Amino acid sequence: MEKSDVLTFAGRRFRSRLIVGTGKYPDYLSMQRAHDASGAEIVTVAVRRVNLDRTQESLLDYIDTKRYTLLPNTAGCYTAEEAIKTAILAREVGLSDLVKLEVIGDQRTLFPDNEELLKATRVLVKEGFVVLPYTNDDPVMAKKLEDAGAGAVMPLGAPIGSGLGIRNPYNIKIILETARVPVIVDAGVGTASDAAIAMELGCDGVLMNTGIAGAKDPVAMAEAMRHAVLAGRLAYLAGRIPKKLYATASSPLEGMIE
Amino acid sequence: MELILNGKKREVTDGASLTALLNELNINPLRVAVQLNLEIVKRERYNETVLKPGDRLEIITFMAGGAE
Repeated sequence: MEKSDVLTFAGRRFRSRLIVGTGKYPDYLSMQRAHDASGAEIVTVAVRRVNLDRTQESLLDYIDTKRYTLLPNTAGCYTAEEAIKTAILAREVGLSDLVKLEVIGDQRTLFPDNEELLKATRVLVKEGFVVLPYTNDDPVMAKKLEDAGAGAVMPLGAPIGSGLGIRNPYNIKIILETARVPVIVDAGVGTASDAAIAMELGCDGVLMNTGIAGAKDPVAMAEAMRHAVLAGRLAYLAGRIPKKLYATASSPLEGMIE
Repeated sequence: MELILNGKKREVTDGASLTALLNELNINPLRVAVQLNLEIVKRERYNETVLKPGDRLEIITFMAGGAE
């Protein structure tokens, strides 16, 4: 693999194509170890009221901001307005001008409300944010988000936390064919092969949280995901053999023993 | 004086500045964003921002989490 195979968006370069989250870990220490094992360089965080009970530990004590790029998300937002307000507050903290834009349309599936998502993307792009929108696998939507100035498009593999993997690789492949910004699968990854499959399709990266944090051994799973993303990327760049209905023998027919 | 901090009533020193309040709460100003009565307060103005009774203050930071 060339040394120049890096993930780039909005003028930033990253060696790791795996983006991880901070939610649902048993504790901050295992989160920190999992981040380390994953090799990730970008970590998503939620934007919330500060905990006034000072006996509680603080998340940022466990994330070295010199090592990791923070990617604030707008989790919990159901309207463009809420998401925009959250993104603006997140930027005010002064640690990141990236935003993982989530505008949720339904509480059970946590599928995006694409109409509100597009609205919010346009506003935030104008405000100078690097917007990474969490969307579904609709190529038409992906193009609209790209045209609206998104720094990448992030189609879901399956519902958040469902672990169902890449449910519609065909649509994601179509998105990959026409996208001129990075395509990062976000949501639904359950185990290593899911991440590898996303990368083998040609995706530029994979974002996951529950797949690692919810595993029995998050640190081990983080390491597995690191390998999976690397393997999938290498396999994609290596150019796989075509799928055939019938066998083609690998050994020559001459010189057979009679 | 009483103001509303992160949705809850709270007693703070009369005439306290935002900086003083953050200090009192042991909050690192470099890790938060502050909204006072629905307007964002720029960090360089924390020191000169004096709180008044009934002010609605939101102190926001990054927490663990994603989809909720």
